[in-house]
Amino acid sequence: MKQSFRSPRVWRSNGAMRTLRTGVVGALTAIGAMTAMPKAASAQEIQLTGPLAGAPSVRKLRLYRQGRFEIAPGIGQTLLDEYNRTTFVTLRLQYNVFDWLGLGVYGGFGALNLSTDLADKVDATAPRNSRTAANIPPKNGPKYTEQVGKLKYMAAPQITFSPFRGKLALFQKLFVDTDLYVHGGVAFVGVEERKDCTNCTQLSTFTNETRTAIAPTFGLGLTLYTHGLVSVNIEYRAFPFSWNRGGFDSKGAPPDASFPDNKIDKEDRTFKFNQMVGLSVGFSLPSAPKLSD
Amino acid sequence: MKQARFWLLMAAAMLVPQAALAQPKKPGGKPPAAAKPAPTAPATPPAGGAGGDLGDIDSPGAPAAGGDTGTPPAGGDTGAPATGSSGGICEIDPSACPKASDIQALSNKNVRADVYAVQQIYALRRGRVELMPYWSFSLNDQFVSHLGPGLGVNYYLTNVLAIGFNGTFHQPFNGDSDFNFQNRRASRLAVPLNEYQAAGTVNFTYVPMYGKFSGFDKFIFHYDGYIVGGVGALRTRPIAVIDPDNRKFDYDWRLAMSVGIGLRVFLNRWFAVTGEIRDYIYIEQLENTEVAATQVQQRNPDTWFGEKPLTNNVQAQIGISMFLPFSWEYRLPK
Repeated sequence: MKQSFRSPRVWRSNGAMRTLRTGVVGALTAIGAMTAMPKAASAQEIQLTGPLAGAPSVRKLRLYRQGRFEIAPGIGQTLLDEYNRTTFVTLRLQYNVFDWLGLGVYGGFGALNLSTDLADKVDATAPRNSRTAANIPPKNGPKYTEQVGKLKYMAAPQITFSPFRGKLALFQKLFVDTDLYVHGGVAFVGVEERKDCTNCTQLSTFTNETRTAIAPTFGLGLTLYTHGLVSVNIEYRAFPFSWNRGGFDSKGAPPDASFPDNKIDKEDRTFKFNQMVGLSVGFSLPSAPKLSD
Repeated sequence: MKQARFWLLMAAAMLVPQAALAQPKKPGGKPPAAAKPAPTAPATPPAGGAGGDLGDIDSPGAPAAGGDTGTPPAGGDTGAPATGSSGGICEIDPSACPKASDIQALSNKNVRADVYAVQQIYALRRGRVELMPYWSFSLNDQFVSHLGPGLGVNYYLTNVLAIGFNGTFHQPFNGDSDFNFQNRRASRLAVPLNEYQAAGTVNFTYVPMYGKFSGFDKFIFHYDGYIVGGVGALRTRPIAVIDPDNRKFDYDWRLAMSVGIGLRVFLNRWFAVTGEIRDYIYIEQLENTEVAATQVQQRNPDTWFGEKPLTNNVQAQIGISMFLPFSWEYRLPK
């Protein structure tokens, strides 16, 4: 009722107030909207710049590899052998430039060469006749198992790349630090295989000679760090190349060299994806690893 | 004026989050100097108002309202995000912000006051079903490769023990190695060969190992190692290499035991990459290496079969693993 008796001045004043109020409300609403709008963006901002943003995934990481020299003796066993299995005594010497990169040499010698059951059966039961004369020694000659191909040694300069570092809990009781790595290099493999011959039925031709095959080598492995000084390593290694595992004349004749030619030579080598698994114990120097930031 | 005060109040309320966001950025994303983790009691429900406990995680320097008394602050609306905090989980993701009902439910839980070596394992398995399609290939048969797709299904009775089965289909994927032909031609000696149709076993799986890897120092992924053992069957048959003109073999069942070890690398909480080595141990039926003297005898199936050696069929199985349901609720707060 009072308002109806307001003077025009008062009305003007009220109009100004209303305009002011509208302006303030509008401004505050705009500010509020602006405040509200960045909210989503700022959530993203917080994710990027929060306490953990930009931080490494692990702090105070024990750098088991970086700047350390490793000596790792071990054993290796070949897989999927046809005529002869080889057990290697191995040694790996490696310097780790970074925690994720190491340079080294892997080597081993074939300490044990065991015939497979197939080789023993060929020796015992294969017929000796004109068809096998170039491939199987006569009964009064050397044993067949002596002519089969054998791996005698291996030396492989290699690079080791260790992108994955972690830890392992066993039965929620035992904890070990681990890393997973891949390695690659060039392998110089000593292969003992039947020597080349042209008149291969002669008794004297059933002997072996050693050559060095050059092959790529690669694989992966898992290292368990049981101690600052000592680690245990399980590794898979492939080193594919061609060699004459059975000591047979199996190829070389025309038209496409896939028929026997009564000669033993490099034509008789067939491709094999050679594989082995290894177990080694590593000793790293200096004996105590550094810690990351 | 009354309305103006209301709108001013509303605007001020809207401005409040700006104060929280106005905290200076940490240069280089480094953590604050006062960022010392507050001690947490795993068996105790989060103390204080909603976001209080989480506030400790994101902003350890600021203690949660209500302290450690385990009771919400008087008059506090625990369902609301903690105002004035700096980037707590409630502001980042309001849906993840604990509600009063959550706190109440957690406080009512009957918990064991144990401290586990690994708190809140990344991928829990208990009560979940695992589907594990894989590709299998042989590791120890240099004569015939036994490849094939397979599927494993496991149900985890506990977090470390599962029961399940797996099956592999080999039939179209058996590969007679070229080496067999070379050996036969050179030595005139045939090696009995066998091929598989399928294999399947019922298994128990035990998961004693659990770990995590840091990849390139940038991300972390979790993995576990398991052992598996079971009993089942293979369907195999000899490949007629000694007398292929007369002999034709059908697939037959072989009782098999299996043992194996495996590694599972989690890419998220329900999806993993798996690698497994499994040894199927069974008694194989080989082809007879001798051929009967007469035509009638040669066509008699009773003369076709030879030795029955104990055989280890070692297979590598590479595949993926999917856990259902995809998500779960932890029994204890972190």
